[in-house]
Amino acid sequence: MFDRIDPRSPTPLYAQIAGRIRVAIASGELRSGAALPSVRDLAGRLRVNPATIGQAYRELETEGFVEIRHGAGTYVRELTSGRRTRERARQAKTLVERLLADARRVGVPIDELREAIEGALGARTT
Amino acid sequence: MTNVIDIDNVHYRPGKGFELRDLSIHVPAGSIYGFLGPNGSGKTTTIRLVLGLLRAQRGRITVLGDQMPGDATKILARVGYVPEQPHLDPTLTVREILRFQAAFYPTWDGRRAEQLLDQFQLDGERLFGRLSKGQKAKVMILLALAQQGDLLVLDEPTDGLDPVVRRDILAALLEYVSQRGAAVFISSHLVHEIERICDWIAVMDDGRLVTEAPMEQLKSGTKRLRVSGAPAALGATPFALFNREPATGTTETWVVGHWKPEMAPFFSGIGASLEEVIDLDLEDGFVELLRSFRARPS
Repeated sequence: MFDRIDPRSPTPLYAQIAGRIRVAIASGELRSGAALPSVRDLAGRLRVNPATIGQAYRELETEGFVEIRHGAGTYVRELTSGRRTRERARQAKTLVERLLADARRVGVPIDELREAIEGALGARTT
Repeated sequence: MTNVIDIDNVHYRPGKGFELRDLSIHVPAGSIYGFLGPNGSGKTTTIRLVLGLLRAQRGRITVLGDQMPGDATKILARVGYVPEQPHLDPTLTVREILRFQAAFYPTWDGRRAEQLLDQFQLDGERLFGRLSKGQKAKVMILLALAQQGDLLVLDEPTDGLDPVVRRDILAALLEYVSQRGAAVFISSHLVHEIERICDWIAVMDDGRLVTEAPMEQLKSGTKRLRVSGAPAALGATPFALFNREPATGTTETWVVGHWKPEMAPFFSGIGASLEEVIDLDLEDGFVELLRSFRARPS
């Protein structure tokens, strides 16, 4: 779940970690009631500052994805399937925005991009 | 107490050549504070001042709320220190070294020391002098952790070690920090390692402080900009302009600090346009900071 955390990225580490957990929750890899790793374990495993893990967990708590039970760990909250679907849609939107920004930078016009996407989709279904 | 180390206007000049000038550094409680700088920039000297091993000619050093060097004994009981070079007796076994060290620290945690021996896969019966470089480094960090201090001062603890040993040492260190809430002051050349674990950064060069800032602020504020049509002479800028050089045509590359996206309108104000904002990682930022620090009029 936490592969390829990149300390050199301009996205702060806590946001990267929170993002990975959000994806895991949206995809159902982390189910309601599942325990997240303890701050201490995850800090040691990823070799990042424990405060960074704490910040990621607090952000997820503010967003309503997890519940921090003091001294007892952090758990994924009961989420409606609608919430998971909305989160997936939000992630899809982010992916597309990133793709469009990259295309603009490289100078690929939108219709060529659309063609490439349809080509890739066609290649997968046939 | 909000800071675990306060260095205020410290001046230290051991001889004719090198000096530390007007050094002020503030390490917040609970932080992992990375201390970067090229060789000979004064990192080890600063650490030795913090530990009372050297005495400043001017200025004030407070560690864990007490004065250095006056309260050195009291402070050092609470500080775990890993020097750049191992200084332990090579003719003692690892376990003898542990027993020796334990005698100095009332807070010594023997169980933790045993657990770390195990975790680091160290043979307690082996002579220290017979250990590999990585094993020696592990013994050094073990001593600092088992002492159960409130502050760890580490002088390039993983320099020159292989990645596996570095990983083991950092994992043990971070585990300790999350358990004890201790602060860490760590000097290193390994910018990527610092970038991963630290929440504060200070950069030294030639005995002076270049910058001190929270990691995120330093990273999010240091950018490379592509600017076109900028006049040669500029007035005041809302950001710090570290460097400016021609790219292609009228386009230039600028390196700036303290950047915020809201500052973009500055460019239309001077009749220029901002083409692109490029993120820098800590290493690029570090190199640019040093370059502009060295080029400044002194």
